[in-house]
Amino acid sequence: MSVRTEGTTLFTAILILVACGVVVQLWLLTVSMEALLANQRTTLLPAALGSSLLLLINAGLLRYVFRFDHEVQRTRQE
Amino acid sequence: MNGEQSTPRAACAGCQHAPKWRTDFPIEWEGDHYVSRREMVKFLTLGSLLLASANWITIVASRMLHTRVYPEKMIAPVSAVDQQSSFLFRYPTVKDPCIAVRTPTGKLVAYSQVCTHLSCAVIYDQAANKLFCPCHSGSFNIVQGEPIGGPPTRRLPRILLEQRGDLLFAIGVEV
Repeated sequence: MSVRTEGTTLFTAILILVACGVVVQLWLLTVSMEALLANQRTTLLPAALGSSLLLLINAGLLRYVFRFDHEVQRTRQE
Repeated sequence: MNGEQSTPRAACAGCQHAPKWRTDFPIEWEGDHYVSRREMVKFLTLGSLLLASANWITIVASRMLHTRVYPEKMIAPVSAVDQQSSFLFRYPTVKDPCIAVRTPTGKLVAYSQVCTHLSCAVIYDQAANKLFCPCHSGSFNIVQGEPIGGPPTRRLPRILLEQRGDLLFAIGVEV
């Protein structure tokens, strides 16, 4: 299997993971909006922290994608 | 055309026998997918950043929204709200319709008239002793304003009332 094929498979898996994270973030935002309107402040902070954690995971995966891409390009140049 | 079909599929763009379209458009399917997936991950991560930011904005909005100071406003003489009847008024601004109801026990309660489902106006259902939203058949408890039927999930904002002599004043909103 070529590195590019491996990368495509890997990126598909990462894409699915990131998409799942974004869906959970969307759900957290709707929960936060409901809590905001109902004045339930105790829900807001955990939802924001959870959303930030998912952002960190997504950013980490994106960084991995860039690093993988960079590695591939460097290998080609060599 | 026949010449193009007889060319091996794996022919590279720079090869001598490659068809003209291949030199004009030297992108492999695999390479195309590779880039579009990477772009999609970038796009989704940007969306993720926006969603996380929106969550923190709700916290800031919550502090600003629920620390509002409400004015005191005379709404009606107490005698205007008879036993088991309702009275409409606007508080805290003229754009905020409210409803005051005298419960069967004689207690006077007031709520925002805006349904927490889709903002239709709720009315007092005297027979069932509840606040009823005719748009989607939502209903609210008269004592606490809690949703007891239909699509609403949040209670109605409660208007705090104070009686001074024969006059009834609205002094705040309890969300």
